[in-house]
Amino acid sequence: MKRLPDLRVPGALTLLLAAGGLAWHGQPSLEQKWEFMAPKLESRLQEREVYIDPAELLDLINDDYIHLVIYDVRSEPYWNEFRLVDSEHMLLNRLPAERERLRGLPDNAVIVLVSNDEKLATEGWKRLMVIGKPNAYILEGGLNHWLNIYGVSDEELDTHGRASLGKPDGTLRHRFKLALGDRHAASRPDEHLTPDREYTSRVRLLKKIEKAGGCG
Amino acid sequence: MSDDKDKPQYWNPYVGGVLLGILLFLSFFITSHGLGASGGVNRIAVSVQDLIVPEHVDKTPYIAKMAGGDRDPLNHWLVWEVAGIMLGGFVSGMLRGRVKLQTYRGPQISPRTRWAFALAGGFLMGYGARMARGCTSGQALSGGAVMSVGSWAFMFAVFAGGYGLAWFMRHLWQPEA
Amino acid sequence: MAPYDLVASLGVTGSYLVYLAIGFAFGFILESSGFGDSRRLAGQFYFTELAVVKVMFTAIVVAMILVFWSTALGLLDYNEIWVQPTYLWPGIVGGVIMGIGFILGGYCPGTSLVSVATLKIDGMFFLLGHIAGVVFFGETVGYITRFWHSGHMGFFTLPELLHVETGVVTVLVVCLALAMFLGFGWLRSAIYGKAE
Repeated sequence: MKRLPDLRVPGALTLLLAAGGLAWHGQPSLEQKWEFMAPKLESRLQEREVYIDPAELLDLINDDYIHLVIYDVRSEPYWNEFRLVDSEHMLLNRLPAERERLRGLPDNAVIVLVSNDEKLATEGWKRLMVIGKPNAYILEGGLNHWLNIYGVSDEELDTHGRASLGKPDGTLRHRFKLALGDRHAASRPDEHLTPDREYTSRVRLLKKIEKAGGCG
Repeated sequence: MSDDKDKPQYWNPYVGGVLLGILLFLSFFITSHGLGASGGVNRIAVSVQDLIVPEHVDKTPYIAKMAGGDRDPLNHWLVWEVAGIMLGGFVSGMLRGRVKLQTYRGPQISPRTRWAFALAGGFLMGYGARMARGCTSGQALSGGAVMSVGSWAFMFAVFAGGYGLAWFMRHLWQPEA
Repeated sequence: MAPYDLVASLGVTGSYLVYLAIGFAFGFILESSGFGDSRRLAGQFYFTELAVVKVMFTAIVVAMILVFWSTALGLLDYNEIWVQPTYLWPGIVGGVIMGIGFILGGYCPGTSLVSVATLKIDGMFFLLGHIAGVVFFGETVGYITRFWHSGHMGFFTLPELLHVETGVVTVLVVCLALAMFLGFGWLRSAIYGKAE
């Protein structure tokens, strides 16, 4: 066998150096990961791939085969005033702590982020994508749009009229007499009473292709 | 090590290790998972079972996941990787004249004895690999490289088991003391 | 950013060809390193051959460094790569069983494939036994299902266990590997009194 030069010591030193360099450089922080992933994420957002119609969300809510998680990322006053039934109050800075839970979600899990308009929910979506890669979507038009469709009953309304979606400023532009939280009618619209609404379905169920990495 | 001319010219293990490490990295990079072997063998076994006793396969949950109903257990990347391993091993062997019908065994035992132990050892390996959800390629190498605690525990368990038994089975491999 | 969706870019057939190629390289390296030879493999446990520990640990360390440098530089997304979930007890028990199987059989599943590919009869018997063991497991796992799911810690990594960050763990693993190479070498000299 032709004698290779004895590279064992240089080899060992190289490995130690490479590992040491790694320890010094560190793994990317969430902000850095964001930068790396930004181009792909931005294009998905621009194509509106992940914005779902309120009617689609309502179907998800009524679908027993989907494990639905609704993250409501708004501040507490809005959360208290009106929210969807079974939504979870998730402030943006608490998202990183969800990492373990995200990893443990079943195959049929779908996450939807909601805010008053779209801005905050979109922010939350970006962060989720960096933390994990859940099957996550954003409510199109936010809760203002939702309420335009599923209506606020006259007794609840302080002022009349539909909320304008033209200048989304992140506020809840429907006014309620009482802050009932998730006990408003529109918190869980009755599927028999709501108007039929057509939409383009965006939710795809992740069929986790047998990701048995080793001999699983 | 004694220097006999009949000794096969194998690669320096460090060289093999570096190449394997690069391959493992590429596997993660391109396919998102590491290497695997026993899972592929598992699926081949299951597909044979499916040919012979399909209703039984449908009713046993562990197997049904792979082959129940319409599912084709062979339609899976692990099977292709296994095929590749055999092909690669064959070509490498051919290039060096090592493809020969023979039985590798320790000098003290007969081929028959070796076959019996190979069968028994294989059985334990097959069972153990399913139990551990992987084998040395999948769990130890791949899981170890990405720092899975279970994989490292597994690796040390394998060494413990092997070294623990080695002395008692030395007649299988060692020359007369 | 890698990893890429193979099926999306190459189609199912294309992706299978990639796996075939990867398997090919794997088998080629294994056979070239002599891992189609049960005597060489079993020799690890008698300190007559140290190839197993050298190849394994070198491979793990090299792969680890490459993987985590890639994630550090944003070339690879750690969230997307498959990390084996930890099932502690079945992993350990299964590992011990496999260690025993290694001594008796002289192969592990991957190397037995290489052995069969080079027409070694002991490899063929091993593979037959392997298939039988696999079938036996499938038939009996129902009885031990609670055990088989015990010690489920999910995605549990060394940095999380040791409360130390990835890069430092890498350094530790490199040191461990180097220590093992040296240690096994000394043990071999001590037992057989020969220099390498």
